Amino acid sequence: MTPETAVVQALNGISFGALLFILAAGLSLIFGMMDVVNLAHGAFYMLGAYITLSVVQRTGQFWLALVLAPVLIGALGLLMEPLLLRRLRGRHLDQVLLTIGVSLVIADLIGLTWGREIRSVPFPAGLDHAITILGGDYPVYRLFVIAFGAALAVVLAIVHRRTRVGALIRAGVQDAPMLAALGVDIDRLFAVTFAIGAALAGLAGVIAAPVFGIYPGMDVDYLIYSLVVVVVGGLGTLSGAVAGSALIGPADTFGKVLVPQFALALIFAIMALVLLLRPTGLLGRIRIAR
Amino acid sequence: MDENNGAERRYRLTRRQFLAASSAAAAIAACGPAATPNPSGAATVEPTASPGPALKIGQLLPFTKVYAELGNSMKRATDLYLKQKGNKLANRPVTVVYEDEANDPVVGAQKTQKFIDSDRVDLMMGIVATPIAYAVRNAIDAAKLIFIETNAGGNALTRTTTNCTPSCKSKYIFRTSFSSYQISYPIGEYFATQKGVKEVFTFVADYGFGNESAADFTSGFTKGGGKITGGLKAPLGSADFLPYVTQIKAQNTKDIYSFFSGTDAINYIKAWTQLGMPAAGYKMNGAGFLTEQDVLKEVKEQANGATTSLFWAVTLDNAENKAFVDAYQKEYSLLPDVFAVQAWDGMQAVDLALQAVKGDTSNKDAFIAALESVKFKSPRGDFEFDKETHNPIQDMYIREVKVQSGQAVNTIVGKVARVTDPGK
Amino acid sequence: MSGVFARVRILPLLAVFAAAALLVTFPIWSAPWEGSRYATSILRDMLVLAILALSLDLLVGSAGMPSLGQSAYFGAGAYAAAIAGQRLGSDDLLLGLGAAILVSSLLALAIGAVAVRAAGIFFLMLTLAFAQMVFAVAFQAVDITGGSNGFSGVRRPMLFGLDFNGPDALFHLVAVIFLVVLLIVWRIRSSTYGRALVGLRENERRMRALGYDTTRLKLSAFVLAGAIAGVGGALQAYSLRFVSTNDVGVARSVEAFVSVLIGGASSLLGPVVGAIVVLFIERVMPSYIAFAETVLGLVFIIFVLAARQGIVGLARVAYARARA
Repeated sequence: MTPETAVVQALNGISFGALLFILAAGLSLIFGMMDVVNLAHGAFYMLGAYITLSVVQRTGQFWLALVLAPVLIGALGLLMEPLLLRRLRGRHLDQVLLTIGVSLVIADLIGLTWGREIRSVPFPAGLDHAITILGGDYPVYRLFVIAFGAALAVVLAIVHRRTRVGALIRAGVQDAPMLAALGVDIDRLFAVTFAIGAALAGLAGVIAAPVFGIYPGMDVDYLIYSLVVVVVGGLGTLSGAVAGSALIGPADTFGKVLVPQFALALIFAIMALVLLLRPTGLLGRIRIAR
Repeated sequence: MDENNGAERRYRLTRRQFLAASSAAAAIAACGPAATPNPSGAATVEPTASPGPALKIGQLLPFTKVYAELGNSMKRATDLYLKQKGNKLANRPVTVVYEDEANDPVVGAQKTQKFIDSDRVDLMMGIVATPIAYAVRNAIDAAKLIFIETNAGGNALTRTTTNCTPSCKSKYIFRTSFSSYQISYPIGEYFATQKGVKEVFTFVADYGFGNESAADFTSGFTKGGGKITGGLKAPLGSADFLPYVTQIKAQNTKDIYSFFSGTDAINYIKAWTQLGMPAAGYKMNGAGFLTEQDVLKEVKEQANGATTSLFWAVTLDNAENKAFVDAYQKEYSLLPDVFAVQAWDGMQAVDLALQAVKGDTSNKDAFIAALESVKFKSPRGDFEFDKETHNPIQDMYIREVKVQSGQAVNTIVGKVARVTDPGK
Repeated sequence: MSGVFARVRILPLLAVFAAAALLVTFPIWSAPWEGSRYATSILRDMLVLAILALSLDLLVGSAGMPSLGQSAYFGAGAYAAAIAGQRLGSDDLLLGLGAAILVSSLLALAIGAVAVRAAGIFFLMLTLAFAQMVFAVAFQAVDITGGSNGFSGVRRPMLFGLDFNGPDALFHLVAVIFLVVLLIVWRIRSSTYGRALVGLRENERRMRALGYDTTRLKLSAFVLAGAIAGVGGALQAYSLRFVSTNDVGVARSVEAFVSVLIGGASSLLGPVVGAIVVLFIERVMPSYIAFAETVLGLVFIIFVLAARQGIVGLARVAYARARA
């Protein structure tokens, strides 16, 4: 691999990592707050991609989808938490299982509504060209993905550290019952957290739609990617999601071309290795293993 | 096994059979408005002077999971054919039972069992994924059920192989689609001998079909004097193709041969244009599914210049194709794809063979002999089965994607006549 | 053994034997029906899934270990039985089953050594991830498994000169092995070991305080469950005479998981009833409606929300009420 190719591959890996971060951020947030691994995350992501498809087909406005999809899916999350998850408060495992059922329903309804053709969304106008890097073309959209991922990380970090909501979330992650005892409306806090996590999954669906195809079964594929990222990075922390995607994105990219015969298994092998060496994940606060 | 010896009670209409027939209608309704705007091919039996006994066809197609749209397309073609024939083949009213194989060999085997034992179909058609065809091959052979394979292209299905692994030909199995050899070897030879290409780099999906395609292309290309300079494989369902295309760009062979289909093909072509491969002098080539209608309608002009081989193109200039494309478009307001053609030809072959035996399917050997001798004008050109293998003998077209009046279409630039699979 | 049997009164025992005999002879007495063989094939697949669900319930229901990767051991068993028969050129059923049990329990030992150190949701994710890794290996190792084309040429199951290859004979075989598995699981659950597993679920810390090596206990349960799943896989391979990568895929794990929860975890018959319901929805219903997957999801949601004890648990409550 020449140095030029290595640099381009590194860019590919970073932009893939940025996509994974956007995908995993919501999963990590919900887990950190509610101790629930939302296995419907992939279905929310899929829904985001299909909403993007419809919006782009009807209006040609990708940016409208970028607003609309997270809002709609956030609203779905806002409904789902009190209607379904709240009934199982305190039974974390049952809550996780519930999300399996939800994902089956959402994925099937998407197929019935949008049909089961394979689809694709064009790159948004203005980001559909290439710029010259090291004497070769490089797609602007992938640079946009890197920038968007970084910006999202910064925004989330600021919200987390500097705002009242962030303070509540931090406190909730530490000790939710105590927060409730202090008079905070924990129901509202959980509903909002779940809604934000769902909206982030939808957002990932929008950003990824022009890059990856839209097809039946994409929900499971990307759910597994996001699980690997959060487990490797460390569950429940924003920095964990950043670390996980920063490792998995480039590792997947270089693995694909350097050891293609292991491309399918590589990220799982990395995950197993990380857990063996660091049971909390790279930056996790919770020890996964004793 | 002796699942299929109930011929004597086949035409007794039981409640169970009635349910099966109405299930066909339910399946049609179920496919939704997008899939079937016109639910026509249902089990409607028109009263006529003296219709023969009902002919029951079991269609095993994917209606869910990743190949669902292929199944819908094949169903549309089947329904359209029957509609044109007034729902009768050789004076026998036709009932089609559709079942979803859900892209899982276990499900496929179970539905095949249903066709054999519960629906008691006269013949079976369909199956998109090669592993499912391989999985049910022995059951079909043992049940002496006539099966028209209308998509899966794994080479072994119509060949003689050691220990029948992974599969082998059966006198009861016919194929109206293709073998991976047919869509890969001829273009390899054509590139070396006709197009004057000296070197090719291969990049295929790392699964049974992609690997077969790469191997067959390689043998055709090297036999014609070409040289393969290297290769790369991507797992099925690779999300991100940028790393692969970057790697292709880092080597000097300009002609790339690929086998990808569906989502993979879309992602590959998009990554290809994003990295400016055409401007850098690279040429995309491959087996026809790389730029088939399902892919082309999504990537459009981004596939411009891609050269592929297939036995059909929507632009193919013959009377049968024109009639077929027109009728399909009129019925469904969309262009047919190659999957529709495969199903259409399956119905044509069955229709003609039935006429030859005057609608009598009880004598299996006679019906098989009739199928073996059908010859007809298909939308793809002249169609006949290789009597030895039951794989079609067909022309392979070399197609290039061109943008004509704002639309990306596969145009015919060359032809390899009468390609037969080398299987014995 | 005698202690257990002493507690079982004679009449229920007779009923159990009658039910078992009815099950095993299903293809015979259903033969006059239209579509009897199709029904037999569905019932056979239900029993295979039930074995997988029973293995999973040893983890979920007994020890409180929610594995979402049980297909790894199921698939390993299927491939092992198929490959051992072909490589050794033997139709011997015991060889196939032995290979399946050996390979699936070794795999479970290797993965379990890492996975059982995690609990709850983490355990769920780890088992899922490891199963994906096994899937990747099965897909990629074309020379051994046939890769995406699947493994065809699974030899016939033969035992003491009896050929179990015909659909009816195969059903008898699957049904008998299913009953054996059911008996073993029942024995495990009513043993000290089984009660220790339940203790693990109820209060692991207390079990440790009582002097149990909980990690080893969990690992043994994991290996045991893996071995039973492997038996299910071997039967799957014999049923289809074919193994596909779908058999190691995540969908099989989800099927088993949903079966356990709908039927009722930590009850002997729960996973069996669940497997029957799930395959009915997944295999029979799609012939009539297009939204079977939605139905399955909704049924699952309802059971998780409102009837966590599952169908068998509900039936038990209803029975108790009727008697009261």
